[in-house]
Amino acid sequence: MTTRMTTGIRTITTMSTDSAALYRLLTWLSPAYPVGAFSYSHGLETAVEEGLVRGRDGLVAYVTTVLNHGAGRIDGALLVAAHRAAQAGKPRVLDQVAQLATAWRGTAETALETMQQGTSFTSITNTAWPDARFAAFAARHGGRLAHPVAFGAVAGFQRVPLLASVTAWLAAFAANLVSAGVRIVPLGQTDGQLATAALQPIVDAAAQAALAADLDDLGTASPMLDLLSMRHETQYTRLFRS
Amino acid sequence: MPSAKPPAHQRANGATRLEFALGPRGTALAGLYQQSPLRVLFPTPEPGEPPTAALVNCAGGLAGGDALATEAVLGAGCIATLSTPAAEKVYRSLGPETRVTTQLRLGAGATLEWLPQETILFDQARLRRRMDAHLGEGARLLAAEMLVFGRSARGETMQGGLVRDQWRLHGPAGLLWADGLALGDDLEARLLAPLGFAGAEAMATLLLAAPGAEAHLPALREVLDGLPGAGPQDAPLGAGQYCARLGAATIPRPGLLLARFLGDALAVRDAIAAGIITLRHAALGQPARLPRLWTT
Repeated sequence: MTTRMTTGIRTITTMSTDSAALYRLLTWLSPAYPVGAFSYSHGLETAVEEGLVRGRDGLVAYVTTVLNHGAGRIDGALLVAAHRAAQAGKPRVLDQVAQLATAWRGTAETALETMQQGTSFTSITNTAWPDARFAAFAARHGGRLAHPVAFGAVAGFQRVPLLASVTAWLAAFAANLVSAGVRIVPLGQTDGQLATAALQPIVDAAAQAALAADLDDLGTASPMLDLLSMRHETQYTRLFRS
Repeated sequence: MPSAKPPAHQRANGATRLEFALGPRGTALAGLYQQSPLRVLFPTPEPGEPPTAALVNCAGGLAGGDALATEAVLGAGCIATLSTPAAEKVYRSLGPETRVTTQLRLGAGATLEWLPQETILFDQARLRRRMDAHLGEGARLLAAEMLVFGRSARGETMQGGLVRDQWRLHGPAGLLWADGLALGDDLEARLLAPLGFAGAEAMATLLLAAPGAEAHLPALREVLDGLPGAGPQDAPLGAGQYCARLGAATIPRPGLLLARFLGDALAVRDAIAAGIITLRHAALGQPARLPRLWTT
């Protein structure tokens, strides 16, 4: 990652160092960044309840499906589009990406998941990492942005390299689902980390797919994930908000 | 002897544009353009039913390279039902894609039922479809779409092909909903994957975009819960058990009620039919029955 980031940063001027970009990614995607990621399972809670996910392999399969054929596919592409528009200084394109991201939600709870996190991310980032361009963008959308778009935009504005940004965001998304899985399945901490390690090539491939995606030809291929998320709304016992 | 090139296949390029306007006697046809093989018929509606248009593909099906474009425009306050008299078929393609585009434009307060019957994708079919609906202030759209993966009645499944299905709903305040289905190189694996299509023969989408659509979620859920095979189950998922997960509903955004169905083709058809009956009656004030075209 360091090599790629170096290459990216050399081509631009406003980000002073590699480490400044790395510091932002680690901060913005840290579980300590107050966006509330821990409260979302992205339908996993229902998948476990219904016996579709059992054990570590089942968890890895679930997260893989989300990344390759579910929300990860859509959100990775939206993040990349937002980053490119921000970095290129194209506010109209960025606004269209933001509207598409808000509209591209299959269920009530996955919409809550991305919009609540994105809105929290926008609020704290505007405070802790003030950037006039990001603030203006957020203001045009009433402060309500989907998480991948808010993240992609500020990363683009602040010249955090694109591939590192999308890889880091997808890795955090995957790690958060693994963390939910550790609590729901349940799994030991070691199994959770084995799952996260197993997902590294999947995240890598998902990031590459996001770079190559065309927003007009984008889609999911996992209606079961939508159905699980919908049924989570009426699940009797629920720990998670999605 | 000079070797003759094989003749290029004749490609169908059907199109229609329907326009409705509010007249002294209610909704009336104000404009109609049709280009073969697409034809529009206007069966006399049954008592209590709105003006109905039947979109007929006279070619009987769509081959690779064929295109079908439908545009329906409803003026302010109009009400209409658009449907098809039979299932659409998309044949095996040797490479070229079949393109289907639909544009629905609803003026302020207009009500449209977009209720085509299912689309049957033959094995190796290549379908690229896009639906854009533009809703004016207070407009109401009830839309159903059902895809069958393979000629299930004869036991055919889809082992390859392509399905790209894009949806965009534009409300008066901007983009309301976007969705896309993307099946390509690993189509068969996705159809069989337990977290993909779980071996289902068919998938269907039913949506109601209307002010206050949220209010109808409980009634729709009641219908879904009452479907055979629906409801929670204890056994792990295995062959054929996706039927336990026939359908579910949600409110992805305010003003949009969405239901998805996944399962055997006949069961999905029955399920979406039940959903249509419930929503057209409860939300649109239409008779609690299917449009006649679905039942004849």
